[in-house]
Amino acid sequence: MACEFNLNFLKELEREAVLEVLYRDQMVRKTEEERIRKMKLQLQQLRWKGAKTARQEYQERSCARCQKSLGLLMNRGAVCNGCSHRVCSECRVCLNPCLWKCTICYAHGDVKVKAGEWFFEERAKKYPGAGRHETVGAKLLESYQNLSKISVVPPTPPPFTESAAGISVMGKELGESKRFNKSVENLFLSLTTHIKKISKSQNDMADRCVLTTDYGKNVERRKQRRSQSDTAINIASRIKSTPSLQQLITGAQNDSETQSKSSWKEEDDITTSPTSDAVFCDGRKHGSLYSLSSTCTESGNFGKANITGEIEFALKYRFRACILEVCIKGCKNLAYGEEKKKCNPYVKVYLLPDKSPQSKRKTAVKKSTVDPEFDETLKYKIEHSQLSSRQLQISVWHAGALKYRVFLGEVVIPLAAWNFEEDSMQFDWYPLKPKLEKPEDGLIQYSGELLVSVRLLVPAQSQSFQFEGNKDHGVLNCQLQVMIFGARNLPMLRSAGMLNSFVKGCLILPDQAEVKQKSPVLKKEACPQWKHLFVFDGVTPAQLQQSCLHLTVWHKSIFSSSDQFLGGAKLGAKEFFGSMDLASQRMLQWQEVLRNTNTWMDFTLVLHSNKENFKS
Amino acid sequence: MASATDSRYGQKESSDQNFDYMFKILIIGNSSVGKTSFLFRYADDSFTPAFVSTVGIDFKVKTIYRNDKRIKLQIWDTAGQERYRTITTAYYRGAMGFILMYDITNEESFNAVQDWSTQIKTYSWDNAQVLLVGNKCDMEDERVVSSEKGRQLAEHLGFEFFEASAKDNINVKQTFERLVDIICEKMSESLDTADPAVTGAKQGPQLTDQQAPPHQDCAC
Repeated sequence: MACEFNLNFLKELEREAVLEVLYRDQMVRKTEEERIRKMKLQLQQLRWKGAKTARQEYQERSCARCQKSLGLLMNRGAVCNGCSHRVCSECRVCLNPCLWKCTICYAHGDVKVKAGEWFFEERAKKYPGAGRHETVGAKLLESYQNLSKISVVPPTPPPFTESAAGISVMGKELGESKRFNKSVENLFLSLTTHIKKISKSQNDMADRCVLTTDYGKNVERRKQRRSQSDTAINIASRIKSTPSLQQLITGAQNDSETQSKSSWKEEDDITTSPTSDAVFCDGRKHGSLYSLSSTCTESGNFGKANITGEIEFALKYRFRACILEVCIKGCKNLAYGEEKKKCNPYVKVYLLPDKSPQSKRKTAVKKSTVDPEFDETLKYKIEHSQLSSRQLQISVWHAGALKYRVFLGEVVIPLAAWNFEEDSMQFDWYPLKPKLEKPEDGLIQYSGELLVSVRLLVPAQSQSFQFEGNKDHGVLNCQLQVMIFGARNLPMLRSAGMLNSFVKGCLILPDQAEVKQKSPVLKKEACPQWKHLFVFDGVTPAQLQQSCLHLTVWHKSIFSSSDQFLGGAKLGAKEFFGSMDLASQRMLQWQEVLRNTNTWMDFTLVLHSNKENFKS
Repeated sequence: MASATDSRYGQKESSDQNFDYMFKILIIGNSSVGKTSFLFRYADDSFTPAFVSTVGIDFKVKTIYRNDKRIKLQIWDTAGQERYRTITTAYYRGAMGFILMYDITNEESFNAVQDWSTQIKTYSWDNAQVLLVGNKCDMEDERVVSSEKGRQLAEHLGFEFFEASAKDNINVKQTFERLVDIICEKMSESLDTADPAVTGAKQGPQLTDQQAPPHQDCAC
C-alpha cells in the first residue's frame, strides 16, 4: 500500500515484520512441544506408579494399576478392553454407562487428544507426508537463515527466560533497527520465491512417501546403510568372492515379489555395492532364510518364509538385582531348516533397539529336532526404568553346515507393556512370526551412550545485560564448555578389535559457521573415559539459541587414513529428521543449559548410527 | 508494522502452558475487509479506524474457557493482498478452522468468497471448518450485500454464517466461540470414528454433550 516513492524502505520493514512473526511462532511452537512433553512425562510417571516394585509382596490376583489384591468372588476386578489388564473398580474411568477404561488407558487417550494428534491424523489422510512438527514457519525460518549470511537475532526473548523479559525486548528493539538495514535488497522477493521452493519440496516429499508407501522404509534405508558401514564389511567381501550366488538370487525373484521389492531395488541403486539383503531375498525357495553370519541377520529384508511352530518362554525381572531374565523353555513344530528334514535349532535374543553383540544372547544348538527343549535362562543387566524403551526380539534359527543360518521365526515383545511380577514366572506359548516388513517404526539405530556435562559461562558483569551486549559481538565473551566424560555400549567393530576412540565436537552457529574441537584418542578401551573439556569461546546466548552442537564418536584406524564413525548425538536448536520426541528432548536439554548459566548440566546422550545426519 | 509493536503484549499468554487444547485458526478474505480489526477486537478488545495493511502474516494468541476446557487459540491473520498469497496459503495446511470474511459494503469482496473457499479446499485438510463472516455491519447506510445474500451463499458453500462488526463489537466473540465449538465437534467426531481401543478415552461427555450456544446474526 502507499509509499511508492520509498519502496525499498517498505520492503525492509516487510521482511523485518515477517521474520518477527516467524520467531514469535517458533516460540509458541516450543511452548507447545514442551507442554506435550510434560503431558507424556506425566503419563509415564502414572505408569510407573502402578508398576510393581521389589519392596512389596504381591498376591497372584491383584489390580494392575494399584496392586490391590482382588478376590475370587467379591471385588474380582475386570479386564480393561484397552490394555487387557485386570483392574479393580477404583482404577476405572467411566466414559458412559457401558464403557470404561483403566486409569492408564484413559490418560493415554487424553494425552493424545490434548496433543492435537487427532488433527494430524485427519490431515495425514490428505497429506500423508506431512510430519507434525514441520511447519512452514519453521522451515522458512531455517532456510531463511541459510539464505542470508547476516546474523539474525530473534526479536523476541528466548521462550524460557521469564525474568527481565521486558528489558531484553527493549534492548533488542534498539539493536535491531540498526542491524537490519544493511544487506539485502529485494528481500521480500527472495522470501516469497523461497516459500515457493519450500512448498514445492514439501510436495516432492509427499509424493515420495506415496511412492515408497510408508515412512518406515526411509528409516530402514538408513539402517541398511549402517549395516554396510560396519558389520557388513566382511560380508561384502564374501559376496564379491561368490558373485554367481548373488546373480542367481536376484534373478530368481518372480513377479509377485518384484512388486513389493521395487522400493528395495531403488535402495540398491543408492547404495551401489551389493547389499547383504540381496542374499536374504532368496528365502522363499526353501521356505526360510539363510544368513551368513549372525551379525548380519539383523540388517535383512526378509521375504515371506513358511514359518511354523511356537516358542515357550517366560520373562522375569529381578527388581533387587536389576536383572531381566528370559527363560527359554522350548519350541514345538518348527519348520525344517533344510530340505532333507534337517533342523538344528537354537534361540537368539536381542534387547532392541541395541543390536550390537553386547545385546545378543544365544542358547545352545539342539541337534536334529523340530521340538527342541532348551531350558536355558538368558540374562540382561538393565535398569527397570530403561525397560519401557526396549523390545525383546526372540528369534529361532537353524544352524546348518558351514555356518549356514536359516531363520525359523521370531517373537518381538515390547517391554513397556509387560507386567513383571516379582516372584512368579508365567510360561506361555507364542506363535513364531516372520520378520516384520518394517521393523520398529521410528527407531534409529542405537549405538551406545555418551556422558557429558555442559555449561554456559557468562561473565558476571554482563549477565544482566545479555541482550544489550548483542550490539557488539566483541563485548560479550561467553563460553560454552562441554565436558566429555565417557561413552558406554559403543558398537564393536569386527575389524578393529578394541576401540581407539575419540570425540569430535562441532558447534554450528546460526550463520552456518562451524566451530570444531577434537578430543585425544584413547587406545584400546571399550568404555573410554576421556574426561576432556571442549571450550567454545566468544559465543553469545542469543547465537546459541539458534545453534546446534553435534558430538560424534570415532574410531581411529591404525592402518587406514579415514576414521570410522561409531555414533553421534545432538544438542540444540536445529531439527533434522528423527522422531519428534528426540528432537524436542534435545532442544529442551539445550534450553536448560542456556537458562541455567554458569551451572554444569549432566546429560546422557543416546548415540545414533546415522552418520549422514552429523557434521564433524 | 502494527503487528511488530502490538504483538509483544501477547507474550505472557503465548508462553502459558496451562490449557487443554490448542487450536489454530486462520482469518482470510479480501484486502481491507477488516480481518486485522476483527482479530484485534477479539484478542485485545481494541479498535483503530486507521487502515494498516497486514504484511504477509501475523498471529495472536488467546486462551479461552469453553465447554469446561481451556483452549489456546493461535489465530493467524493473513494479508488479503494478492502479492502475499504464497506466504498466506502456506499456512492453510496447519489450520483447523477458518474465518472467511467479506465486507458488506464492498460487493467485490463478497464476489471473491467463492474463490477463497476454493483456496481452502485446495490447500487445507478435508475437514476444515469454515465460518463466513460479513464484517462492518455497523455501516448499514453503505450496505451493498444483503444479509439474505450472505446467508444463501454460506448455505450453498456449507459454511455457517454471521454478520459482525469489529468496530461496534457485534458478534466478534460469538464468531470465534462458534468456530471453536464446531472444531470441538469435529474433534470428537474424528475420535469416535477412530479405533476405540486407541482413542476410547476421547468420547468424553464434555465434548459430545455440549450444546452450540444460540446465536443470532447481527440485527442492525
